[in-house]
Amino acid sequence: MDAFDTLGRIITLTLFAATLRMATPVLFATLGGIFSAHSGVFNVGLEGLLDLGAFFAVVGSVALGSPWAGLALAVVSCLIASLMFAVIHLELKAHEIIVGLALNLFAYGLTNYLLVAILKATGFYKSPLIIGFQPVNIPLIERIPIVRELLSGHSPLVYLGFLGVALAYVGLFKTPWGFHLRAVGENVEAAEAVGINTRLMKYVGMLLSGALCGFGGAFLSLAYLNMFSENMTAGRGWLALAAVNFGEGRPLKSLVACLIFGFADALAIRLQQFGLPSQLVLMLPYVATLVVLILSAIQRSRKAEKVLESPPPATKLVEV
Amino acid sequence: MPEAVAMLNITKTFPGVVANKGVNLVVQRGEIRAIVGENGAGKTTLMRILYGLERADSGTIRVKGQEVRIPNARVAIALGIGMVHQHFKLVPSYTLAQNIVLGVEPRRGPFVDHERALREVHELSARYGLTVNGEKKVSDASVGEQQRAEVVKALYRGADILILDEPTSVLTDMETDELFIMLRRLAADGKTILFISHKLREVLEVSDNTTVMRGGRVVGTVKTAETSDRELAEMMIGRETVEVPLREEPAQVGRRVLELEGVNVYDSRGIPAVREANLVIRSGEVVGIAGVEGNGQVELAEAITGLQPIACGRIRLEGREIQNRSTRQIRQAGVAHIPSDRNSTGVALEAQVWENLIAVDYHAPPYSGMLVLAINRILSYAKDVVTRFGVQTPSLKSPTRNLSGGNVQRLVVARELGSNRARVVVASQPTRGIDIAGTEAIRRMLLEYARRGAGVLLISADLDEVLALSDRVMVMYKGRLVDAGRVDETIRQRVGRLMTGAEP
Amino acid sequence: MSSKVHLKGLLIGVVMQAANYALILIMALVVGAAVILVSGKNPVDAYIALFRGALGSPIKIADTLDRSSVLILTGLAAAVAFRTSVWNLGLEGQLYAGAFASAWVGFSIHGLPSPIHITLCLLAGTLVGGLWGLPAILLKLRWDVNEVVSTLMLNYIAILFTAYLVAFPFRSPTAFMPGTETLDATARLPRLMIPGSVLNIGFLIALALAFLIFWFLYRTKLGYELRMVGFNPQFAGYAGMPVRRSSFLAMIFSGALAGLGGAVVITGFFGRFISSFSVGYGWDGMVISLLAQNHPLGVIPAAIFYAALANGALAMQSATGVPQALVVTVKGTIMFFVTVQFFIAFLNRRLRQWMPSTP
Repeated sequence: MDAFDTLGRIITLTLFAATLRMATPVLFATLGGIFSAHSGVFNVGLEGLLDLGAFFAVVGSVALGSPWAGLALAVVSCLIASLMFAVIHLELKAHEIIVGLALNLFAYGLTNYLLVAILKATGFYKSPLIIGFQPVNIPLIERIPIVRELLSGHSPLVYLGFLGVALAYVGLFKTPWGFHLRAVGENVEAAEAVGINTRLMKYVGMLLSGALCGFGGAFLSLAYLNMFSENMTAGRGWLALAAVNFGEGRPLKSLVACLIFGFADALAIRLQQFGLPSQLVLMLPYVATLVVLILSAIQRSRKAEKVLESPPPATKLVEV
Repeated sequence: MPEAVAMLNITKTFPGVVANKGVNLVVQRGEIRAIVGENGAGKTTLMRILYGLERADSGTIRVKGQEVRIPNARVAIALGIGMVHQHFKLVPSYTLAQNIVLGVEPRRGPFVDHERALREVHELSARYGLTVNGEKKVSDASVGEQQRAEVVKALYRGADILILDEPTSVLTDMETDELFIMLRRLAADGKTILFISHKLREVLEVSDNTTVMRGGRVVGTVKTAETSDRELAEMMIGRETVEVPLREEPAQVGRRVLELEGVNVYDSRGIPAVREANLVIRSGEVVGIAGVEGNGQVELAEAITGLQPIACGRIRLEGREIQNRSTRQIRQAGVAHIPSDRNSTGVALEAQVWENLIAVDYHAPPYSGMLVLAINRILSYAKDVVTRFGVQTPSLKSPTRNLSGGNVQRLVVARELGSNRARVVVASQPTRGIDIAGTEAIRRMLLEYARRGAGVLLISADLDEVLALSDRVMVMYKGRLVDAGRVDETIRQRVGRLMTGAEP
Repeated sequence: MSSKVHLKGLLIGVVMQAANYALILIMALVVGAAVILVSGKNPVDAYIALFRGALGSPIKIADTLDRSSVLILTGLAAAVAFRTSVWNLGLEGQLYAGAFASAWVGFSIHGLPSPIHITLCLLAGTLVGGLWGLPAILLKLRWDVNEVVSTLMLNYIAILFTAYLVAFPFRSPTAFMPGTETLDATARLPRLMIPGSVLNIGFLIALALAFLIFWFLYRTKLGYELRMVGFNPQFAGYAGMPVRRSSFLAMIFSGALAGLGGAVVITGFFGRFISSFSVGYGWDGMVISLLAQNHPLGVIPAAIFYAALANGALAMQSATGVPQALVVTVKGTIMFFVTVQFFIAFLNRRLRQWMPSTP
């Protein structure tokens, strides 16, 4: 019974609530990655964008005294960075993986330098001047016993994140804009031929991914923790790439991967409280990502194999 | 009949080449105008200017009597011009209806109204008697159906001037007939059709007038009914065309070098691409495979050369079985392969010329030892082969992407034939996109190689090329290989019938 | 094609590459200078202090060279992978894996003569580094898992796992920072004769490897295959080359080189495995390789430049108050310009069309 007892203490409602919370930054980055992917660009720079977002969110909050100001500055800084990335990749024809890596390194360098230069701190910055997001209690749900622990009392950005999934789905699959964007990603010549401004679409895709990473970064430094530290993004931008991969560009499916990461993250923290060595436990999200990657790859190859196994439809060749 | 399109004194230059010079083209409403010319004559550029994909350096364009400027495709579409490209521009995961309405899709509030799109597409197709199943995904539709969808796409946007770029290059004879019926119906309805082609027989069949271009200029415009394919060909090439009978002597044919027995190959989607193929090539012989692209030729070539596995059947090279062996083993056994897509398969464009030349033979003496490459040996071989095959390059160490298309193909041929070890040469579309001089050179090289005792399998969508070079012809139709026999006076009719799927 | 004209053409090529290279570094320094100016300090003083700190005396030069050893090795690791179009972003993790393995051999085995002990340590580092690249490439070959993300994940796993090893099972009670016990003296790389400097044969090892990899890529069959696969895998397969084997070997060799880098740092400089010993050597290696256009010999000057930046930064900070983090900004700018390099290459191509062709 000891095992069950321990399990019961580990797996609690708070764990699931924490899952939703921890999934949020990855989720924002993932949504960003999805838009970028649909416009035909594999955005490897998500990690750097999250870093920028986290940093400038703190700067904005300190300078203007409000988390929303911080969020705004985060989004603006990420938009500028994505614009740079977009120009270098689209106009100067640099290879997207290399430019993405450059963005990561550049962001890392810039935030480190500005940390010293503007915030006069090394390694991390923590101060009562940072005004973070306050948790929100949703009126009706507040009353329902179990559900309220799960769904209420989160930072507003968590709700925005999940709203984002819905908006992304509708935007991509129901609106004319999404109809055009997906065409650009699949066959840019076809889109050009019908007069879609593919250049513009790619820019928009990139800018959107930047903006969303701004939200994700702001969550990290203004909601999850009330500070900025040098490695706080901890590879979430890479996890997002795996989620985009897994979801094959569909927001709902990618959400599943993000929840898995969120769970691994939350579990890691919980297990640490039980005395397991932090280093081992912190490996969880990364191992989870590997598993997700492998699963999505197997799923893809199974699909391909199925096509080959099924008896070739006899009607196929009797055309015209 | 009122004027539909007038392009006057159009000049367009690209770096290094004059694509159009002082071109005049006036087309009436309801006319079917063919524009013919060799590769590089400027026909495609002219039509791209009309459709707004290029901008002319100078000249005037009138559409329906009004002088206009066409800076992009949007403007062209607004003017009622639609274009069906040679390589279809369709989004693979969308349905035909979705592709047709993309960009001007009907909306319901802020959303796309897919149901209305489907209805409108079906109404439109019915009106012009075109069968298009709007619900089919592009990846599931036949080539003919995809093309019809492209036409409906243009009509949906209100096109009354239709440009078609080499529309029949991917169609069977039967699909071509259907296309022509559709074009005549559209023309009768008042639409103006401009189509680019280099297939003179078809041009004669369907067009009202034919404009011939050569070297960027218009050579002349004639009434189709009053001309012949010989006259058109002369105008196109500028000299008396000779049906080049390249084979002066009958081939000295020896023993079997390549045999295919009951070969079946599935393509990447699990659909049989090659069915029960049987084939025999003897040394000294050129066997041509005629047929419109997309009937399994690529898969057949890949199966023989080891790039694709065979589901069942046997392939024998000089008696030894080579089916499903590794590419390296097959090449070692003596199979050379000139691939249909030289840029993506035949060379590594970023690599240097010598690196491409030695790509097949580098791994064995005398070009390398156990570990190390014998660079000097390789370079002298490369130099020798480059000279023999006339590859124009500033240096053996130039990156291959600096070479012109014709020289890249010569490089490929030089590599495949240069070592003289090949017993069988599989040549897929060897002269596609190559200028006349290069084409003749490559054809001569293939014949020469056969004369020396190898067997040549020539796969080409260019029927004239197949008939000029081959001793025997086979036809590939929907994955099946049918023997059309020896090349004689009636070969063309036999091949033509077989290409439509008629029983041999 | 006379060989003299040939040589001239080659020389022009090399000069253009070097100019390209130098231009990027200069531009990055200019941007750095601008940043210094904006924060109110004097860039000239700052750069002089930087230069002095890195290269101001024979000892300092030697120390800079020593620091460049690991960067040369990670640069080579990236070059081998990138040339084959294998996106091995896991250099940092392979570095850690190799470093720990070499440390373990260094403090677990006793009584061996120095040359043998050192060789075993370095071999262990090389082997384990290569092994750490194995999962990613196997996943790619078997299930087409994108190696970009899988190698990155393996980074975190390696860093965390070695951190665990150092915090618990192998923790040294005497250590000030979390680390293993010190390596036996027989496992330490011998110093080179510059008294006062930490320069050791690790630098020579790195140089030797640079030439070895150059020879490998441009003179051997295997290297030729890797490069052709990197240029166009479809073409390579069509010509009969073993494409999958080439990707596999590229990843393994790449990981091995990174692991060797880790081993050199541990046996040459630190003398024990310390938890966060790498200040981004793996990442620097990637940029160094891209800067050198993935050419093994070009990696050497780039690595030395990076080492100079790092070594001079502390001196710059104490002399002029410009924070060390400026160096990180300069590095970021370099990376930024490296990508613009592709634009320069595009320009180059256009220029060549107008230039007289060298036969």
